[in-house]
This record gives sequence, C-alpha cells and structure tokens, in this order.
Amino acid sequence: MEAEADALESLSFGEGTHGCDSDSECCVEDSVDDELFYASGDIIPKLQFRKEASKVRWIEELGMAEVLEKKGKMWTTTGIVRDGKTYCSIEETLYLGEVGALDILNGDDTPFLLSDIYGKLAEDKNRHGCSWESFEVYRHLKFLGYIVGRCGVPWSMKSVKMKMDAREGMEEFDSSRGRGSMDNSFITEMFGNLHFGETRPVFDVYPPNSKFRKSCPGAPSFVLCLTSGHPPSRQEIEDLETRCGGSPLKFCIVEHGRVSFLSFTKVELPILA
Amino acid sequence: MAPRWKGKAAEAKALAEPMSKIVSRLQSSLIESNSQGLLSGCTVLLAADPEQTELFNHACFGRPVITSEKDKQWFQLSLEEALYLCSVMKCIKIVGENTCVKDEEQLWHYMASKRAGFPILFKAYSHLRMKNWVVRAGSQYGVDFVAYRHHPALVHSEYAVLVLSDEDGDRSARLRVWSDFHCTLRLCGSVAKTLLVLHVSKNGNGAIPPSSLDHYRVEERIVTRWNPEQSRENQTIVQKELCKSGT
Repeated sequence: MEAEADALESLSFGEGTHGCDSDSECCVEDSVDDELFYASGDIIPKLQFRKEASKVRWIEELGMAEVLEKKGKMWTTTGIVRDGKTYCSIEETLYLGEVGALDILNGDDTPFLLSDIYGKLAEDKNRHGCSWESFEVYRHLKFLGYIVGRCGVPWSMKSVKMKMDAREGMEEFDSSRGRGSMDNSFITEMFGNLHFGETRPVFDVYPPNSKFRKSCPGAPSFVLCLTSGHPPSRQEIEDLETRCGGSPLKFCIVEHGRVSFLSFTKVELPILA
Repeated sequence: MAPRWKGKAAEAKALAEPMSKIVSRLQSSLIESNSQGLLSGCTVLLAADPEQTELFNHACFGRPVITSEKDKQWFQLSLEEALYLCSVMKCIKIVGENTCVKDEEQLWHYMASKRAGFPILFKAYSHLRMKNWVVRAGSQYGVDFVAYRHHPALVHSEYAVLVLSDEDGDRSARLRVWSDFHCTLRLCGSVAKTLLVLHVSKNGNGAIPPSSLDHYRVEERIVTRWNPEQSRENQTIVQKELCKSGT
C-alpha cells in the first residue's frame, strides 16, 4: 500500500470539501449540511506540504511538463515515459503543484506559478485535453490513492510493445516507434480521443497498488467517462462501450465540486424456476 | 446485492414451490373455470373460487377486493396483469360493457388510451413475468415496478424498475437530468433495492403489429453508484487476504 500511503501522507484534507457522497447508501443522513462550518479560524483545510519538491519544466509546445528531478515515490504512478524521459500531463502537473510536491519552471527557468496552470486549464480545454472538471475528478481519485492515467495513452512505450507482442506474437515492432520519441504523434493520438461537449472517456483508472509498474500496468479496472450537462443516452453508452473495447466503464458527474460516479451495467436477469 | 430472503425457512419454501409452477396452476385453473374479467376504468375485476384465490395470492396477481360475498372472492387486476393473463397466458377473457368479449387488438387500444406509455410498460411487465419474476406496482418507491425473486412474503424486492423508451416522448422524460438519477438512486439505496432500467425499443420489422410483444425488445441495465472511498477499502481487504492466502 505504499503508493496509497504516499498519496495520502501528504494530505490532511477534510474529505468533505472535495468529497463525493460518502454517505452510506443504506441510511440517508443529512450530512451535506454538516460539512459546512460557520466558524472563524481554519475554515479551509490546509495541506501538509512536502519538504522536498521534484522539479519539472513546462513545455508549452507539448502542453506537458518534462521531469528534471524526481523526489518521492509518486513517480512510479505519475507521468508517461518516452525516450527515457518522464512527461507530466497538465492534470498531473497541477495536482503535484497544488500539494507542493513540484517546482515548476518555464522554458527560461523562471517559476511557472499555479495561477499560470489554472489559467491554462481555463483558456482552452482542447489544447491540453483537460478541463477543470476532469482535473477535479483526477484529484479526487488521486487523493484516495487510485492510479490515474489519460485514457488510451500508454504509460511507456515498453508497455505498448509488450501489449503488441502479446497480441501479435513476436512480430517485429517498428524501431522508430518502439523508441517512442517525443514527437507530436502521441499527442495527436491523445487528442484524437477527445470530443468535447459530450460524454467522453477521460481516464484509465487502476486501483491503489504499490506494485504498479508503468512498463507493465495491466488493464485498468475501468475507463472513466466524464459526462457533460446531461446523462448519457442509451446510444451514447453503447457507443462508448464499443469504443473502449469492452473495458468496464464508469461515468462521473461533477457538480459544484462534488464528484459522483455511476455505472450503467448491462445485465441479463436470470430466468427463475 | 444478494437476494434478501425473509429467513432461511422462506428461502427453502420458495425453492420447494417455484413461481413458474404456481403460475401455471393458476393458468390451468382459470382456463378450466372459463374465467372472465370485467374491464372497468383502469382495472379488471375477476371472481375467483377458493383454490384460485390462494393461487392469485401466491402468484401475486391482483389485489383482493373485500366484499360480503361468501362463495367467491373478487380480485382487481391492473391493466398489465389482466392483459398478461389474457394475451400471454391465454387463461382469462376480458369483457367490456354489454359483457362483450374484447379481442386483443381492442384491449390493446383501450389500455393504451387509458395509460400513457402502456405498450412499453406492458412489454416490460411481460418481460419480467416471463422470466418468472414477481412484478408489482412501484409507485411506493417512485418507480414503475418492483421485481421480486418470489412471493413478497418470502423475499424483499430486489429491483426497483424504471421503464424507458427511446421513442416515446412522454416516457422518455424519466432520468433525463442528473438530479433524477441522484434522487432515484438515493431512494433505491435507502430501501436496499437496485435500480434496474429496462430500455424498451421497437424492433425494425414493420410487419409485426404494434400490439405484438415481438414488436419490442428489452435491454436490461442496472444503474449503481460507485463509491471510491469504499471500493478502496475493499481493495485493501482483498489484497490483504490475497497476501495472507499467498503466504
């Protein structure tokens, strides 16, 4: 449970602030109002900041940050590996930035501030493939120790190679792609997954696992789809199921910072005696 | 969610008397007595002899009507129940005013005019009944039906059922916004039922008459909330147990 502990140690968040409905399904409690405090003093929970921060450089052209110095255990479950380098998506960068685990630099070595990243999320969703809502979902799951990656984006090219080997026998894998150079192709691939204004798959979610390896991540336990303003229609659910190749799907709704997760599972009720 | 039997004896009793047997005994008995139901508003009234009374009760069709009549027991059937017994089980006839027997086409049109979304509700009802689930009205829980594995005296209902259709404008108003989902799931959770959504859609074939059940197909989906806090704990427990069994 190291990864999980790692995710949690740095945080002393009141879960209510960012929580989804933690109330038990079996008894309805009026817990929503209880979370709100009307008191002076520590109204907003404080983070316990990390002593040592890793260092990354934001690369505007990629819309990602390149990792320069790694501190802490979170790197086993954060960032994608290409050409021996680790790159963080905007949500990873912002998440670690928020908890104080990251020093972020601009190309010219000036500090890249949280406000800059908040600005990037707001300015153009398409550009970075992440909206404020998907960031909130990412953060919610990360706080709980889940391992979260971009939907369909391999953690490392080694994992792709292994997958292809497994699928097609020991077929020769194109060496230039096998090296996984940091060109635009994988970013295009990433954005190819995105369709805004509708329910779309956003993250591959893995359960908390201290033995997680980017080179061999295994299948995610589910693909998380972020819904837009309205619930997905039956047709939309079916299309997503087809697109995600049979991976289990979950749907999340973000309303006023409150994250809910639903699953719509196709069943066949048994024919009883 | 596992079936919640009302005690061990209840489960054994249900096992010993499968619902399909009870329903087919009711069917034979009604055929034998040449039973006729009287269509009245949104109800069909039907008189039952003592054996049929017991079978109606055990099979969970209709509600008994309390009267001072000694020799027969009246039952009031919902439109779905009556049409199911009439057109699927073929064990009762339904008469209108003038004691004139109505054919299936007439019944279908009458019922569809009395109740919004009747065709798809009836398809959903029949779909579950044909699988030998006991289906009762769901208005107590704000849904269309509740489905039981056996008689409600023996088991709690497992599913709160909402029937949706892609085409029908009226019916499709259900579960259209997120607050509908939150509301329904919160309620289902508090009464320990799983939300079962039945999507009823029309089959492409235009040759099938709309009053035929073959005209529609049903897709079953259960909608559940996932709680990442709890699932994480479960995960930890599972992993710990795996570790234990591994050593």
